Amino acid sequence: METKIGVFLCNCGGGIKNIDFDAAREKVAKIPGVTCVNLSSNLCLEEGKEKMLSCIKDENIERVVVAACSPEFQEHIFRQVLENAGLNGHLFSMANIREQCSWAHEGDVTVKAVELIKMAVNRARLLQPVEKKELSVNREVLVVGGGFSAINAALQLSQVGLRTTLLEKEAVLGAGTGELGNLYGSDTSSMISAVEGDENIEVLTSARMTATEGKIGDFTVRIRKDGEEISHKYGAIVLATGYQTELALDSEPKLRAEDEAISGGNIVSQEKLCRMLENPSLEREPKTIGFMFDFSDENSRFPTLATLNNALAAKQKWGSEIYVFCKNVKVDGEGVEGLYREARDCGVVFLKSEAPPRITAEDGRVEIEAKDVLLGEDMILACDLLVAEELLLPTEGTEVLSSLLNIRRDSKGFYQDENVHLYPIASERKGIFFIGGCRGDLDLGRVLTDISSVVIRVHGLLSSGKIVVDSERVKANPQKCVACLTCIRVCPHGAIQLVRVDSDKEVAEISDLACDACGICAAICPAKAINFEGYTDEQIVAQIEAIGAP
Amino acid sequence: MSKEIVAFCCEHSAYPAADLAGKLRLDCPENLRVIRVPCAGRVDVIHILKAFERGATAVLVLGCEDGACRHITGNTRAKERAKYSEMLLKEVGMDNRTVDMLNLAPNEPHKFVRAANKITKRIKESEEAR
Amino acid sequence: MESKNVLVVGSGISGVASALELANAGISVYLIEKEAAVGGHAASFCCKATDICSKCSACVVFDKIKEAVIHPQIKLLTNSTIKKLSGELGDFRVELTQQPRYVDEERCIACGLCTEVCPADPKAIYPPFAEATPFSYILDEGRCLRFKGEKCDLCRGSCPTKAIGFELKPREQELNVGAVIVATGFDVFDAREKGSLGYGRYPNVLTGIDLEQIFTREGYLRPPTNGKEPQNIAFIQCVGSRDEGHGYCSQVCCKYAMKLAGLIKYQSPGAQVTIFYIDLQTAGKGFAQFYEKYKESIRFVRGVPVEILQTSSGELEVRFEDIAQGKVCRDIFDLVVLSVGISPGKNSWGLAKILGINLADGGFFDVKDSPGSNETNVDGVFLAGACQGPKDIPDSIAHGIAAASKVIQVLSEFASRGQGNQRVH
Repeated sequence: METKIGVFLCNCGGGIKNIDFDAAREKVAKIPGVTCVNLSSNLCLEEGKEKMLSCIKDENIERVVVAACSPEFQEHIFRQVLENAGLNGHLFSMANIREQCSWAHEGDVTVKAVELIKMAVNRARLLQPVEKKELSVNREVLVVGGGFSAINAALQLSQVGLRTTLLEKEAVLGAGTGELGNLYGSDTSSMISAVEGDENIEVLTSARMTATEGKIGDFTVRIRKDGEEISHKYGAIVLATGYQTELALDSEPKLRAEDEAISGGNIVSQEKLCRMLENPSLEREPKTIGFMFDFSDENSRFPTLATLNNALAAKQKWGSEIYVFCKNVKVDGEGVEGLYREARDCGVVFLKSEAPPRITAEDGRVEIEAKDVLLGEDMILACDLLVAEELLLPTEGTEVLSSLLNIRRDSKGFYQDENVHLYPIASERKGIFFIGGCRGDLDLGRVLTDISSVVIRVHGLLSSGKIVVDSERVKANPQKCVACLTCIRVCPHGAIQLVRVDSDKEVAEISDLACDACGICAAICPAKAINFEGYTDEQIVAQIEAIGAP
Repeated sequence: MSKEIVAFCCEHSAYPAADLAGKLRLDCPENLRVIRVPCAGRVDVIHILKAFERGATAVLVLGCEDGACRHITGNTRAKERAKYSEMLLKEVGMDNRTVDMLNLAPNEPHKFVRAANKITKRIKESEEAR
Repeated sequence: MESKNVLVVGSGISGVASALELANAGISVYLIEKEAAVGGHAASFCCKATDICSKCSACVVFDKIKEAVIHPQIKLLTNSTIKKLSGELGDFRVELTQQPRYVDEERCIACGLCTEVCPADPKAIYPPFAEATPFSYILDEGRCLRFKGEKCDLCRGSCPTKAIGFELKPREQELNVGAVIVATGFDVFDAREKGSLGYGRYPNVLTGIDLEQIFTREGYLRPPTNGKEPQNIAFIQCVGSRDEGHGYCSQVCCKYAMKLAGLIKYQSPGAQVTIFYIDLQTAGKGFAQFYEKYKESIRFVRGVPVEILQTSSGELEVRFEDIAQGKVCRDIFDLVVLSVGISPGKNSWGLAKILGINLADGGFFDVKDSPGSNETNVDGVFLAGACQGPKDIPDSIAHGIAAASKVIQVLSEFASRGQGNQRVH
């Protein structure tokens, strides 16, 4: 028996004047399968929807086509009408005869309108229902990292009732927080105590992730700790693998912030200067200090802030003469402009140049040769201490995890892909998030905001232990699937896994939770084994076949 | 079908752009037929070829701007498939069939209309040349 | 009465981000907006993609507005402002005033019949700008003959859905909510305050926002004086930022100027673009590559001009100190774009009084703890977005999500404790 299709036309209050609705009705009524054609003037309002609902029930309509305005703002409303009438909301197709037809062209557009309706009818005829399903999700969260962001996130996640595991590769938590902690005055040790005292937080140190399988709500993570492998399930994974710094000096080998073996300790990192400032028994207070930043890396918000804070501290504590060499001060963070003005008022001299200064170090002094833009002259400054430019770099952990979890990074190697739709904290895989320095920025306000954002996201996903999803909207047919792995490799959301169906057969399984209904897999499957309900090949081609047909 | 341009429009970018073009009453060619897809990456070579089999004169595949695809790689795949389809058509001697890929944002109605008009003009010119 | 509902004041990108986050977590949200359309400033920003996306995030704003407007958990109230807030965390009473709209956006289907019959010239009833959400028609009291005393009822009579009414008075409404998120955004610095730059006097001096709107509406750089397309364009940074009255960086201007410059160069490869700056703000995810790409094709001059004069041919003479060369120069441009900064909202003071929250030194709303957080001095009232301090779109979204996060945390703590703290009168 032919599927009964009901077509509901709307003339938008009579405002659509370049479509002959009577003629259209006649033509549409003749389309095979169309058992009723209704004309309304206000389908989107209560009166119109009620009439539609009664008609669907009275005429036993099985598929609904609405020819009216754009589905963009109305599709979900009409789907609800279907549900209220006892029909699955997916058995619905819309023809845009207003924005993309009546409003788009001058003159009579009845012919095009009828074609658009035929296209929608052809599609509707083939539509199948999609039910909703409730899936359980694991409520535990894995936070990879043990620094400022990781610890903060774990504490907040615990507060909202989610059991969290901190996975840190070093032997202790807080290993990498030094610089941030000093500069922002955050008390890492009290945070670590809070974590250790929290029943809801499990701390695994000297531990690394070796493999992860699964998807959001159901990740199986293998962890190597103390030579043993353990496996645990988590609902979401938060990466907080931090950053590392490298002094941007023309030196071989490249120097880390902790190395002191540079010209007798006259060239230091910001962190080292912080420690010097805190050292009550410092041998010799530097009389002239030079700071350098922003030449090798445009992303210098943190170096700007660190320089300003340290310069002010050094002025206050030692009364040193301070010269700052940079290209541009990066003041696009809260309060930074204020600090910049304060520093200048205190006598800190800023020397801006396009090209980086030349550094030579000898006899306990460092010479900086630069051209000052304001003076227009070359100058050589001899100072006791140079705080060198530091590059912010991703950690080795960031790279390793990126390939373990199959997630993209940006062009500098930090998380995440530079796709604006992922900001602030998402990855392209549902259930995997990034916070803090591993995203490439160290502005405290932004880092704290990231942490709060991840807490609500993860909480929203996992707290109830259940998520309602469309059941099998995109499905790989096990009969047709040849396990070529193409869809698995191609899915941008990591939503497809290979599962064993019996002793000799493995097929692709698309997770209802992780799938984002893009259809890239359906297009690429060489065996045409993937059925994407609403956008199957047949449903798309059926629309094409309606174009230009008599 | 004879003079139609079949436009596969991604629901995140091109489809809203086409709606905006309508709201602005921009002058759009009447022979445009829009097929809405969840991502340009859903569009397969077979869909493009089917359009030509049924008589379309041109196919336009529209997706998000390069680097802004909601599904990360969808628009890139679509671009490759569009190029591949055009190459296939040339191989079988259908040189005057064009497959274009357009990247746009949902709030770029002018870009949508400009592309549609450009293709229509090109079709007209090649017809007159014959 | 205790409530788990949340009020979000302001439907710019931050407010929308907060509302969506809460709505997706199952919370009922009232999203109020003082204008007729949703989306704030960012809703009129143009896509600045060249051959690749330039990460301006204008499309993200578009998406989120759409999502918010159709979300079943979000109730949108446009033309609405807060008159009074009382109560405390978990149990706030909010009094709203909704300005008369004449066209009921819940009934207007944008059929256009009213505009057809309107006898006024220019038409007194017309569609909003294309991206307006909700897309309902607007009746302009200033043009309407009826409001000028004439007897005219044509539009109301023609409306098929009875969406038009003239007897509308401001509507009062009372809501009961558990927490409030303030996301009232910012006001653009009025470039007329820097009189010597000629904004408002010379037609070819525009602000960055003007330029965004030209691109959004026209799709290309349509010249303000209907002459040739501009070929020699200057951007002047820090107009209303980092000066005596504004001791902060507006954070968005260098980026938007460079991205607009990139767009101009892409559309007119022959155009010359100059950017006058103090310190170029090029930090931020993905921006360094953008800067590298355009470093060669855009002329960057360190030194912000203080005077612009119009020549007899309508071109603009810009006088500036070229710091690198160490001398005062003059250059001629056919279009000058002032990169205006983000200023606190003009109604901040009034709103601060109503809500009982503090203003910080710069005029933005103050936060209780660390910079950039969301908590105000009133328990249960949070800040989201640029009303707390200048932010770009991604930061505004993140801040909005963080505000939602704090709300959820505080409401669940409150529920388990059963007690509120500070009362607001």
